[in-house]
Amino acid sequence: MSIIRPFRATDLFTFNNINLDLWTETYGISFYLTYLARWPDLCCVQAAPTGPLMGYILGKAEGTSTDFHGHITALTVAPEFRRLGLARSMIAFLERASDDTYGGFFVDLYVRCTNAVGISLYEGLGYSVYRRVREYYGSLGLGPGGKDEEDAFDMRKPLSRDPHRRSVRPNGRDMIVSAHDVS
Amino acid sequence: MSAAALERQIRPIYDAIDTGSNKSAIVGCNKLLKKYPKNDLLKALKALALVRSQKVEESLVFCEEVLASKPTDDATLTAMMHVLRHLGRHADTVTMFEDALKRQPGNEELAMQTFFANVRTGNWKAGQQLATKLHKQFHADRYTYWSIMCAVLQASDSTTPANMRDLLFKLAHRLVTSAWNFTELHADRLYLHVSILKALNLYDDAQTLLESEQGQAICSRSLACDELRREIWKAKGLLQEEGKIAEERIVEKRDRNWLEFLSFLDATVPPSPQSASNGTGLSTYEETPQRIIHAREVLTNVAEKDGTRDRSGLLALLELEQRVRAHSLSSEPSRLVDLLLQYFETFGDKAACYEDLKPYITLDAEELSRWTSYLDGLPRSSSTLSSLQRLINIYKLTRYNLPTSELTVELEVPRATKLVQEYLDALPLGKDLPNTELQPADDLAILAGQVYAGLYSLAGDEAYLHNAVAVLEFASKRSPQSYLIHLQLVRILRLLGAPQPALEHYRLLNVKQVQNDTLSHYVLNRASSFSLAATGDLTYASECLESSQIYISNSQEVKIGNSQPASRRANVRQTAEFIVRAFTGEKYSQIPDFISFEDRLDNSLQRDLVKMEHVRMRITHEPINSELINLELIELKFIFDRFHHDNRDFEILPKYQPHGQPSFLTQTTLLGKQPSLGWLWVFLKIYIKALQQASDMDYSLEEKLLIGDRPKQSAASDIHIPMEERLDSRRPEELAELTADELTFYNFTTDLADWLAPYHNHTRPPPSVALAEATKQLESKSGLPPKAVEAPASNGTGNGHVKKAEDAPPVKEGPASIVGFFDHMHKRFDALVESNGSLPEILHVASLAQEALLLFSIETLRFKNASLVKIHKLGALVQNIKTIRSSALAVVGEIGAELIKIGESEGTSEKRRAFVSQCEPFLSDLGVSDSRHIPREATLTGALQITHGDVLDVAKKVTDARKKAAEGFGKGIGRVCAAHA
Ligand SMILES: CC(C)(COP(=O)(O)OP(=O)(O)OC[C@H]1O[C@@H](n2cnc3c(N)ncnc32)[C@H](O)[C@@H]1OP(=O)(O)O)[C@@H](O)C(=O)NCCC(=O)NCCS
Repeated sequence: MSIIRPFRATDLFTFNNINLDLWTETYGISFYLTYLARWPDLCCVQAAPTGPLMGYILGKAEGTSTDFHGHITALTVAPEFRRLGLARSMIAFLERASDDTYGGFFVDLYVRCTNAVGISLYEGLGYSVYRRVREYYGSLGLGPGGKDEEDAFDMRKPLSRDPHRRSVRPNGRDMIVSAHDVS
Repeated sequence: MSAAALERQIRPIYDAIDTGSNKSAIVGCNKLLKKYPKNDLLKALKALALVRSQKVEESLVFCEEVLASKPTDDATLTAMMHVLRHLGRHADTVTMFEDALKRQPGNEELAMQTFFANVRTGNWKAGQQLATKLHKQFHADRYTYWSIMCAVLQASDSTTPANMRDLLFKLAHRLVTSAWNFTELHADRLYLHVSILKALNLYDDAQTLLESEQGQAICSRSLACDELRREIWKAKGLLQEEGKIAEERIVEKRDRNWLEFLSFLDATVPPSPQSASNGTGLSTYEETPQRIIHAREVLTNVAEKDGTRDRSGLLALLELEQRVRAHSLSSEPSRLVDLLLQYFETFGDKAACYEDLKPYITLDAEELSRWTSYLDGLPRSSSTLSSLQRLINIYKLTRYNLPTSELTVELEVPRATKLVQEYLDALPLGKDLPNTELQPADDLAILAGQVYAGLYSLAGDEAYLHNAVAVLEFASKRSPQSYLIHLQLVRILRLLGAPQPALEHYRLLNVKQVQNDTLSHYVLNRASSFSLAATGDLTYASECLESSQIYISNSQEVKIGNSQPASRRANVRQTAEFIVRAFTGEKYSQIPDFISFEDRLDNSLQRDLVKMEHVRMRITHEPINSELINLELIELKFIFDRFHHDNRDFEILPKYQPHGQPSFLTQTTLLGKQPSLGWLWVFLKIYIKALQQASDMDYSLEEKLLIGDRPKQSAASDIHIPMEERLDSRRPEELAELTADELTFYNFTTDLADWLAPYHNHTRPPPSVALAEATKQLESKSGLPPKAVEAPASNGTGNGHVKKAEDAPPVKEGPASIVGFFDHMHKRFDALVESNGSLPEILHVASLAQEALLLFSIETLRFKNASLVKIHKLGALVQNIKTIRSSALAVVGEIGAELIKIGESEGTSEKRRAFVSQCEPFLSDLGVSDSRHIPREATLTGALQITHGDVLDVAKKVTDARKKAAEGFGKGIGRVCAAHA
């Protein structure tokens, strides 16, 4: 029983069950409002019919010409609602909007190199590593994990405007760039 | 002077401001101002640098100069906009842009800025007119939409009278109809258009628009528009049509949004016969059986195809069955349980299973026994993740259906012990997980915690809370990231009167930003009776301030000392910037949400509950003087005018108690009562009344000395009723939120205020004196002279004019209830201690007695002034006050001393031993419960068993915290008594 509906500003009052999870950052109010004021159609939540939130995705559209693409900024599902396909369907939602509404060439995202669940989820959905970004994330300060914890994979999946798959490449894990070369 | 040269010289000033080097910016401005003393931009930049270095007063000089010269150039206007925003002078920003626009009517950028200035202040009416003008002049479509949006916002504003609303929507409708372009695919414009049609009940028009090719194309990719469409279809009773669309989406497009399933089901059979009869289009009731058969087929198909991939199909079948039964159309009574079994077989290893099935497991006796024996007969193991999750679900589902007759201490204790055992048995499954991961067995410990909380509320024995803490503390070490475990501990530790460890667990949640608003109630609810501020320990007082940062940072940059009332709000609203952005980007669907978000945060109930707690803490450790009295009075009166929203998150704690029983949340509510709006209202009345009597401010002066604006008032509040009447009103729903002791306290404060009111009113100095005093204070605070205020002429009427000594009201003895109150609280306290009452309850009574003493001090402060007493011949009153004070001091002092004794009896080895032995049932090592620490390594299975040592640590933590709470509060009382003797 999961309803997909738009992310609303007032959802910030009820997203605790999702955001108290270690892997989900709670940003300042302006972070969320920035997304909603510009890309409301790339943001949505999954909620129970009685109201409680189960997960959400926040995305944006950026880049110019053939680099124009949708970007997954945050994707998270509350622990008790995982493995139900909620993330999968929210990603599908964002891909569709990036394709149909924005006409982007691909969708991309960053994920910690240590986030095995995240990486396998995206790989399962057709994403591949485009490059590895050094020290993209701050350390979680949780002990060993080293580089992998701070490095990010930039993962991509081509959309219908990129039928020749020019936005991806096969050996992305070996392409290493530093954090200031991106974003 | 060459413009280019000047520009070159100014650039470093901008850089300095951008990087926060305000000092060097000021130096730069000064240098250039020598050369160009009349340059507005330089003055504006200097004003900005000054205001950013908190030099409000100096900044104002330049600010006024620039405003007076009515600037029109972009750079100066922009700089001034920032200055005025810092000062919270939004109305001046609007005026400044309007003036500039008058001089350069063809400047589109300027016109837009003027529009935005109106948007920031929420001046929708002016915004609407300006946008219309913009459109006439510059012809861009979006200006029309801006004006439409403004009309809608004005219509929706709570201060707009009802008859105006309709007119405004009609205006918006006219505008949108003529502006509408049938070929463009602009989701937010469509959203705005349809919401206007909806507001005017023009459903047919809305339908036509939405069914057009344009409408369909937009709805297929805009969740917001599709949501609106669904509402229209529902309102029009187009159930069948909606059901068709939904069916197609489910079957063809494999859409698994539950909304589609609901639409499909609604078209088949409404949730209940009642909902069918209120006219939502199921006219063809005879066809219902066929529809049900069809729906069952479709959904069975979906469920089969989806298998374990998606649970919607099976859940929809369950929902269908539930509805069919509600209509008594069920042909196969066993089907519901069949489906439950099928669901459990398929999705029993998902964590969501329990929440999913909850709505469908209220069964009749026969079905219940089939369902229960199914659950009982399932294999129970925790050898794999999947079997463990099933085990957890079996426990949760079984517990849900426990009848009241089986909720006895005798039956619940073994259930709890069993859960702890299952938890420990399941732990090895997660032993290799990093401690950043949740342990798969966590829920078993959480369940055990709830069973123990239930036992506590059943038997009233704190031993069960000790059990819960022991298990949960152990589980928290194994799964440090489990916020549910932390939160349960916060609740239980507070019940045990152990505020310090409760706060520590709360802090581990890492609550940030807006979460402060929704979660701080878990630690700050009634926190003043845990606060040791009187002893100088400001832990809880600072927690209050920190958690309130979010309200200030949302309306940041506001410094006190705004001398000009802005048109609506005194603060800079962060959210306002996003409303401007949404206009710029034409995201109309977001604007009403942003406004409502801001309203809910600004007028948050929790914000003011925390404020109230903070005031209660503050007066225990700060000297009570006129400054404190006036400042708090102004703030509390602001709050008294608010229309509050309750944003507190009570949903986050899972509900694992049996169906029909109070939830864990209810069972762990401190003192059994949750303070809410009614509680806040009572305490506001108590404090406003006392502070008002003590204060020399009179209404008219206060109005003039106000820093910025009063908060926006809601049409719904009883704001039109005179203040005095509101302060005196007593509503049953407010009283219902008080504990019995708080009610006694409330009566005491009322009697006290009534007794002293005539003497306050008689002796309060005239407004001119008060004004001078308040002015001095404000100046010393902000460095800014308040606007010139004429003291109202002393014409012999009104509050506080000089009265002659012979007017003095005759001195009456303080009513017996005042002295009686302290005696009563003393007895209450002793009785609680004797009957082994809970520590929070004991502290509650003690803190109210102390608070009564403090309010007595506030109320009688004025009469400490010997010359005033002499002039007004109030010697007898003062004598009476002294007598009461000394008996109050005696009582409160004794309570304090007894608390210290209670503290001493906590934190002893007997207490710890008792704690440990209460936990014996689930301890691994059967060693005698002495205080010998058994190292963890000594036990066979290492960290996967709860040992005496583990529990002893916990016992020490809890009893030490209780000791500190009681002893600290007792000592604090001692200090308070000394300070107010
Ligand atoms: C990553 C996350 C969003 C997945 O959410 P979810 O709703 O549970 O994911 P789905 O159910 O849609 O899973 C889709 C597929 O991803 C893979 N997957 C997801 N979680 C997995 C796990 N714990 N282990 C292995 N595979 C997993 C599976 O292949 C799964 O398909 P399947 O269940 O049919 O086998 C969720 O675990 C989460 O919120 N994590 C914390 C935040 C985070 O890491 N976000 C991603 C970084 S941008």
